[in-house]
Amino acid sequence: MIRAGVAAALLMTLGGCATSSLVLLPDDEGHQGAVAVLESGGAPTDAVIAQGNSRTKLGTRAPIARPIGRDGLKKDETALLTGLPPPAKGFLLYFEQGTTTLTPQSATVLTALRQEIAARSGPEVEVIGHTDTVGGEDDNDRLSMKRAEEVLTWLASQGFDRSMMSAVGRGERQLMQPTMDNVDNPANRRVEVIVR
Amino acid sequence: MLRLSLTLGAFALVAASPAAAEIARIKQSSGTAAVERNAQRLKAAPGVQLLPGDQLVTGKDGRMSLTFIDNTRFALGPNSRVSVSEFRYDRTRQKGSFVTKVDRGSLAIVSGRIAKSDRDAMKVRTPNSLLGVRGTKFIVAVPK
Repeated sequence: MIRAGVAAALLMTLGGCATSSLVLLPDDEGHQGAVAVLESGGAPTDAVIAQGNSRTKLGTRAPIARPIGRDGLKKDETALLTGLPPPAKGFLLYFEQGTTTLTPQSATVLTALRQEIAARSGPEVEVIGHTDTVGGEDDNDRLSMKRAEEVLTWLASQGFDRSMMSAVGRGERQLMQPTMDNVDNPANRRVEVIVR
Repeated sequence: MLRLSLTLGAFALVAASPAAAEIARIKQSSGTAAVERNAQRLKAAPGVQLLPGDQLVTGKDGRMSLTFIDNTRFALGPNSRVSVSEFRYDRTRQKGSFVTKVDRGSLAIVSGRIAKSDRDAMKVRTPNSLLGVRGTKFIVAVPK
């Protein structure tokens, strides 16, 4: 009886010594990244874990990745991955030359944008306005901001709280299609909306 | 002159916005889940905004998930304590630095733009290791 108690206590102590671990997976697009183990057990290492679907015990001097194997992920690991939020999604809206008027095609994108925001829990919306190179830089800074605000105001009119949204104008600094100055370019007259 | 007033205007706009220092937002939470900020303890709920230095804490039935402004995504499992020790991000240049400390529990991470911006711009520290994140999806577990 006493012996059983000691064994249980010992097991618990051993459990308490468990070391941290890393499970490396391919990303949602199937691309495989890597994790470098810069320090382990108090010493620098040059180990780079690049093998997908692998498990690595951390804290040893030379961490080695092992395949997850046929047992696959543990239940709590699967639960964690299922709990990850959906990836951020981007939308592009285009404007008529020199105005804050959406092109007819872009007006339909607004519906998809509204649905995307409504479908998310705790959403955050980043609105970034741009212009083409027609006109002066200062004018374009203002116009890009107005375009972003136009979109933000519309979203607010659809019932989305302004505290979840932010708007910036980047003028002609980030062209979608690089052009010379004073070039009318529909692809550059845009507002980018990122929904997280 | 025009440029100067415009810049000042833009600054005022950012400064007036309550979301100025926001680095992430909680998307889901369940069970006992809280954000600890200095002496404050905020209940984790969808839409709660995070600031640099915040600690995320879950109880034995707790979970939470969040998305950072550089698109990094986190999911915390039960019995976890995770701190965002450092988070700097320049939205325009899409560069920054990000250090997360996992004291205990489990954390799934899908890295975002900071990890892509420079080698080891995103790091994760556990009690016995320091990881440099090079654009990927992974789980770190620190048993009690």
